[in-house]
Amino acid sequence: MREAAVRVTFDNVVQRFRIIQERPDTLREAFAKFRRRTSYHDFEALKHVSFQVAEGEMVGIIGRNGSGKSTILKIIAGVYIPTSGEVAVNGSIAPLIELGAGFHHELTGRENILLNGLLLGLSKRDVMKRESQIIEFAELGEFIDVPVKQYSSGMYMRLAFAIATEVNPDILLIDEILAVGDGEFRRKCFERIEQFRTLGKTILFVSHDLGSVRQFCDRVLLLHGGELIEDGSTDFVISRYESLLSQHVDSLRTQAW
Amino acid sequence: MIEFARDTYRYRELIWALALKELRVRYKRSLLGFFWALLNPALLMIVLTLVFGTIMRFSIDHYAVFLLSMLLPWTFFSQAMSYSVDSVVGNGPLLKKIYVAKLVFPVAAIVSNVVNFLLSLIPLALLIVLLRFPLHWTWVYLPVPMLGLFLFTQGAAFFFATANVFYRDVSHIVQILLSAWFYFSPIIYSLDFIPEKYRWLFRLNPMLYVLNGFRLSIYYGQLPSLYSAALSLGCGIAALMIGFSIFRHYQNRFIYYI
Repeated sequence: MREAAVRVTFDNVVQRFRIIQERPDTLREAFAKFRRRTSYHDFEALKHVSFQVAEGEMVGIIGRNGSGKSTILKIIAGVYIPTSGEVAVNGSIAPLIELGAGFHHELTGRENILLNGLLLGLSKRDVMKRESQIIEFAELGEFIDVPVKQYSSGMYMRLAFAIATEVNPDILLIDEILAVGDGEFRRKCFERIEQFRTLGKTILFVSHDLGSVRQFCDRVLLLHGGELIEDGSTDFVISRYESLLSQHVDSLRTQAW
Repeated sequence: MIEFARDTYRYRELIWALALKELRVRYKRSLLGFFWALLNPALLMIVLTLVFGTIMRFSIDHYAVFLLSMLLPWTFFSQAMSYSVDSVVGNGPLLKKIYVAKLVFPVAAIVSNVVNFLLSLIPLALLIVLLRFPLHWTWVYLPVPMLGLFLFTQGAAFFFATANVFYRDVSHIVQILLSAWFYFSPIIYSLDFIPEKYRWLFRLNPMLYVLNGFRLSIYYGQLPSLYSAALSLGCGIAALMIGFSIFRHYQNRFIYYI
């Protein structure tokens, strides 16, 4: 058996955000603040995180709010350039970070398919080739030529998900998007994720829904306050997370007393 | 410069789609739709012609044509600037979610206005014929000053879009700057009207060279000298090089400010 290629490598990655209490947004403020230095503190969203994800793996990323899960996905997607450390991504990416981010409300579904496909890095020919499949998956029928501002939120989500997954990436980044939508839509999405898995794609999956993490992921990363505290088999890491959560609840309870 | 050309070519489909989106959205929900791109400049020109042709009389023959030959390219510049200064900030929500090459937004803002500008030349030609003003053969030379103008505008757009990310005042300052710049450029007047001793000051304005070719070929029916053509292209290329290198230098930091 050949060695599976490494798709994503994080080596000692630090992502620091400068939280400025009152960032001068306008020149007047910049002049006013010129003498007394703006107060700021550095916030480390990720602290020396290292891991690797191989081809064909589906890795869950769990942790409390603000632990750095989404930051990891955004670094892989190229939105942030880390403060220090090395990141290597090998393969094409489809970010399902926020569905419909590139939609324009005045444009029709069909026009948005082209615009979003291009934003996600497809060529016009590729988008055209996939258009009918996208429309079919999104179950939009004749609504495809209606401006998306008239869509129901379900139609909106279906179209966005259909575009993002038709890109046929090597690496799929999923951030909590499956929490929305009705049962039927979720079932379809999970079916497609399953399909990606059998095709040997790499998937990074951020979720608070431990049930679906347990169902899909081969491996889980646990983040806590920007640190990667656990990286291992799904069952083990989830039980670690659950005990962490109950500790937290306990500490809240003691505080309350 | 090479990088600008390469990236623009690489993302040409996306840039074109964004520019079309801009135009579609601008004319959507209006009865005449895209026709406004022709009608708008036509109406403006008719008003100006009436005002300057019959009510106010100038010593310049066919003042309307004299004015329009530079006013149209200026209007392009000024509209393109107003659009592009917000092009990065306005797409901030998108840039925060997915990776998109940032240069596509300022470029698409210019491209959509270029389409508008080219369309506005049709009513201009019609009006000139209607006014029985000669439609000089020197119109064929127009692509040269256009290239200078488009490059210059693109360079300025990169610069102001970058500045606006860090200080939002820039979008207001640009408006004031544009109206001051308009009167400082010989658009409603000719450089000959300026006393000799102040002319050197007006010659510092790059817009003078960028717009010059338009009036020469549309109004005077003359070909500009090689020197003047080179100056207009030179201003365009210099502006683009400066603007793009500033944009490129700061673009990785945009994400923290939008």
